[in-house]
Amino acid sequence: MSVDLATRSLLHDKLRFFITVSGVAFAVTLVFVQVGLFLGLMSNASLTIDQIDADLWVTSRNTPNVDFAHTFPETSIKRVRSLPGVARADNLIVWFMNVSLPTGAVEGTEVYALENFERWNFPQNVVEGELADLRRGPYMVLDDSAKKRWGAFAVGEHREVLGRRLKIIGRTVDAKSFTTTPLTFMDYRLAQALNEGELRGNTTYILVKLAPGADAEAVRAEIRKRLPYNDVFTRAEWAKRSRSYWIDSTGLGLNMYITVFLGCLVGIVVVAQTLYTSTMEHIREFGTVKAIGGGNGEIYKILGKQATIAAVAGFALGALQAFALRPVMAKIDLKLIIPTQLYVFVLIGAVVLCLTAAMISFRKVASIDPALVFRT
Amino acid sequence: MAILHTRSIEKHFQEGREVVPVLKGIDFDVDRGEIVALEGPSGSGKTTFLSILGCILTPTSGEVVIEGTPVHEKRLAEVRRRSLGFVFQQFNLFPSLTALENVEYALNVKGIKNRDARVEAERVIEAVGLGDRQHFLPRELSGGQKQRVAIARALAGSAPILLADEPTANLDTQVGTQVLELFRALAKQENRALVIVTHDPKVRTIADRVVKIQDGALV
Repeated sequence: MSVDLATRSLLHDKLRFFITVSGVAFAVTLVFVQVGLFLGLMSNASLTIDQIDADLWVTSRNTPNVDFAHTFPETSIKRVRSLPGVARADNLIVWFMNVSLPTGAVEGTEVYALENFERWNFPQNVVEGELADLRRGPYMVLDDSAKKRWGAFAVGEHREVLGRRLKIIGRTVDAKSFTTTPLTFMDYRLAQALNEGELRGNTTYILVKLAPGADAEAVRAEIRKRLPYNDVFTRAEWAKRSRSYWIDSTGLGLNMYITVFLGCLVGIVVVAQTLYTSTMEHIREFGTVKAIGGGNGEIYKILGKQATIAAVAGFALGALQAFALRPVMAKIDLKLIIPTQLYVFVLIGAVVLCLTAAMISFRKVASIDPALVFRT
Repeated sequence: MAILHTRSIEKHFQEGREVVPVLKGIDFDVDRGEIVALEGPSGSGKTTFLSILGCILTPTSGEVVIEGTPVHEKRLAEVRRRSLGFVFQQFNLFPSLTALENVEYALNVKGIKNRDARVEAERVIEAVGLGDRQHFLPRELSGGQKQRVAIARALAGSAPILLADEPTANLDTQVGTQVLELFRALAKQENRALVIVTHDPKVRTIADRVVKIQDGALV
């Protein structure tokens, strides 16, 4: 095995190595946290769409996202159900309502109302109670996230929704919307009864499940023909539209890009600065490498390897930090989603970032006069 | 035939608008196994001449011929790898590498790798008497020991020409004498040509020939 001057030299000055790695780790952590939070928020923006087992969503024309629904006549569903290729279709109401709390405070809730929740496999994480019981009376199932805004609640208690007492008959977890307003699940007719003025005879969405082998595009085209004043989206399109709304309207995407950019900038500056200082301090050694017959390429290899080691070590530390932050974030209801692709992308990014930082040193090395080895 | 030969070497440096001639047409030969001391006062041009002999600097005019082949400007690094070994006044060891690794790394740069490099490095480290210090870092070695490592590094890889720049300048008299005697013995034993640039009169005692340089010319 050949002598690994790059690694030995890098680890020789442990403090400098730590500073370099910390710089990379800082950038990596920042990228993971920012992108992870962004993905977490975005997953909330389309979480219900992703969970509901519908292939197509019929919405009111120009509905911007799943939370801000508009009404249209519920009888439209008949035109959908009669189509070949449609296995089943149901009306879904998504509506914001006010809840009076025992403290006297009034809070908001986002109601999801269906005739049959089990049929759509939604909500997915029911931890207490039966969704089927919702049909049996003035009942509701609440998501646990409501505790943060409404205070503690238990199954069997009542809450007043738009002036009517509803019994809590179940709990779910992780059913969230981007708005952070707690989700409530109730029977479709009950939701209409609670807000007759706007919801009587109206729905906000039609969920469509296609028959096996049905051509989604053909069915969609047919629905569009029959409901010309509605929009029809596939599940993926609708989820994307809902996420895009929040990205565009809140500047969340821009904020993420700016933070990621700044994180990378800080990382690149720290790495470039430490590598350059290190190069300057080892200039005589590099001169010696040249004097004993090594070319610029030999020194570029040393610097490149040092940059790569710093990148990989910084990535590992940064990823570890981000991983450790996940439970901390979860405690404050922030979801950090870090998919495998992001790990790969950030690792490659860290290596590219560090090699870019090393370029500045490359330029210096190219100009080293090996005759400096004779100077005292 | 001389293993190292120079013909009419001239070197000029530009200082502002002025051209300063440092070397003025030097003809110089060294044979295999010969030890030559190159003496001269400060500013006489001896280190510049050594740099040209070592293919680190190129002459303004004239020619350097090593092992019968004129040195081409574009192949300086290759000539340094193949034919030259250096010993510097400041030792110039890699502080993060042990004595043995310093030698081994130089061999790696010369294209000798893996076990061959390790065996050769151990041989020369033993030859300079540092077998028991081979795993020491430079900071754990004395000045004399560092210079021995530098000599081992120069000897490693069978370069036929060894060039030393003030190798005793940073050593005390006793250690300096020991290092010079060791250097002479090894150079003779392995039939290497050795050119030593020095101010140190002790070098005369080990040299086969003393050449003086003054104002850029041999006298």
